[in-house]
Amino acid sequence: MAENLLEVKNLKKYFPVKAGVFKRTVAHVKAVDDISFAVKQGETLGLVGESGCGKSTTGRTILRLLEATEGEVVFEGKNIMELDKNEMRAIRRDMQIIFQDPYASLNPRMTVADIVGEPIDIHKLAKNKKERNQKVEEILENVGLGAEYMNRYPHEFSGGQRQRIGVARALAVDPKLIIADEPVSALDVSVQAQVVNLLQDLQQEYGLTYLFIAHDLSVVKHISDRVAVMYLGKIVELTDKKELYDNPLHPYTQSLLSAIPEADPKKKKDRIVLEGDVPSPVDPPSGCRFHPRCPKAFDLCPVKEPEFKEYGDGHFAACHLLEKE
Amino acid sequence: MSKEALVEVKNLQTYFYTEEGVVKAVDGVDYEIYPGETLGIVGESGCGKSVTSLSIMRLVESPPGKIEGGVINFQGKDLTKLSEKEMRKIRGNDISMIFQEPMTSLNPVYTVGDQIIEAIMLHKGVKRKEARQQAIEMLQKVGIPLPEQRVDEYPHQLSGGMRQRVMIAMALSCDPQLLIADEPTTALDVTIQAQILELMNSLKESYGMAIMMITHDLGVIAEVSDRVAVMYAGKVVEYTDVDSLFEDPKHPYTWGLMNSIPKLDKDVERLEAIPGSVPSPLNFPEGCKFNTRCPLAEGKCFTDEPELIDAEAGHKVRCWRYKDLEDIKARGERIYADQGVKE
Repeated sequence: MAENLLEVKNLKKYFPVKAGVFKRTVAHVKAVDDISFAVKQGETLGLVGESGCGKSTTGRTILRLLEATEGEVVFEGKNIMELDKNEMRAIRRDMQIIFQDPYASLNPRMTVADIVGEPIDIHKLAKNKKERNQKVEEILENVGLGAEYMNRYPHEFSGGQRQRIGVARALAVDPKLIIADEPVSALDVSVQAQVVNLLQDLQQEYGLTYLFIAHDLSVVKHISDRVAVMYLGKIVELTDKKELYDNPLHPYTQSLLSAIPEADPKKKKDRIVLEGDVPSPVDPPSGCRFHPRCPKAFDLCPVKEPEFKEYGDGHFAACHLLEKE
Repeated sequence: MSKEALVEVKNLQTYFYTEEGVVKAVDGVDYEIYPGETLGIVGESGCGKSVTSLSIMRLVESPPGKIEGGVINFQGKDLTKLSEKEMRKIRGNDISMIFQEPMTSLNPVYTVGDQIIEAIMLHKGVKRKEARQQAIEMLQKVGIPLPEQRVDEYPHQLSGGMRQRVMIAMALSCDPQLLIADEPTTALDVTIQAQILELMNSLKESYGMAIMMITHDLGVIAEVSDRVAVMYAGKVVEYTDVDSLFEDPKHPYTWGLMNSIPKLDKDVERLEAIPGSVPSPLNFPEGCKFNTRCPLAEGKCFTDEPELIDAEAGHKVRCWRYKDLEDIKARGERIYADQGVKE
């Protein structure tokens, strides 16, 4: 089995809620509340959940774009939460991120060559401008954009092409881990497939490891090796993708899978339609956070939080029902 | 279907006159909606699917937009010819519409009750007290818990799913014959989307109304539609019942769309991506509008625009080479070459 490239241990990220004249902290939004997982060398781990479940916050906290409230993030054996600014900058060479919105994440005043070349400059990976531009050209070629695009500005590109520029920028420093935060959800369906295929090609070519964050279970299933399902700041289930789709253990995963409308009119699914909305993470429900919406909840669920335990060969879940069985 | 159509759209053309040139957002679109059925309209951004619905409602902003030609028959009236006053009687009464982002369609400074009550009083001519009672009943029907309380709340106090339920309640408060739903679930999470789709299906049955469902999501289309029109670059490129569409897509674009989405129950190594992106409406190509991205395009495709013809009874397609596509499908081959790094 491959080694762990990234280990996340008991990670917590609370955002203070301030109110009143003195802006005192009156409560916390527990966006990420004690999650642990590992990403193996060369694999794609999918992180899926609905809006507000904390999946993007997890991605950003790992990169320390947001400072964690508690917990460890171990990258190649080093706890990066303890690094100072300079050490952190060095390690960001190995960990890059691709954002959801290709319109907001590229500086409109910079040319493509400067956008992709900036990380090369920061990390001093090229001796001179000529070498830098050569590198940029090579990377653009690799993401399917020709060198003729180098001196153009982001507004001249379509959404799919912009996302390719975002990918090129992440690749420029030759990273080991790429955190892809909803990289295809802003794109049209026919263009989504292009970018998904591109990410898969690049993974092969550069031996990349991905943390792929998305709300779309079908895309996550296609690209990931293993999948973690999040609900209200917690991971509720984690296993390899085949097992997750064939044998989902957590009632939330089951209902999530059954809620996806499939492009096949012949298939009428037995849908588990969940009642109500996702509760607020400021004041999450007691015990198991899913219990107010869970069709299978029983007396223990509102009282005690279930443990995240292994139920056979790398299949983790947090549910009292499973413990009972 | 031998019933008479509720809405008949014939050769509809809606153009926008911009500084850069004329954008033919909808360019010769035909379809019918029958009473009690759901017509799905599917396509990617910029294909003109929303503009067709806005044209039916006569909500295209003018200028720059203008309905340049065509007929929209609704109950023996041509909606394109009605005055604004006559149109106002139809809007919200006979034809209602719900939008993608419920927050932008609800007025934030009025309670949700006030907004529904206004519609009921306006169209049904009842007193306020009676209208309030009806509004509460509507909120109950769309599954809002504690409707007597919610009726006095403001939109910001409700979640996204609840707001969309309020929009549906408002749209249905005057028993419309046609409900136009423009991406009603796109902004919602999947578990909430499932709730809303289920609600719409059950209301359709109890009200016997027709629904025009506009979406980019083929999954939603498969779930709710009876018949489907696939749009690309301002035109309908395929038009048939939902089962034939998914079983036997005849247009290379439809085929590509279906194969570019990953399926939950099927593992594929690679997705079949359609190359390139939708051309700008300011310079659509000559001939077939899909020719810049179509792997089958040749000769005629680049010079002459194909008509929407009957490939089979009740299955229309706009393609010169749909028969060749059939042969390729019969051989079990892919038509979209491996689209990875190369665009």
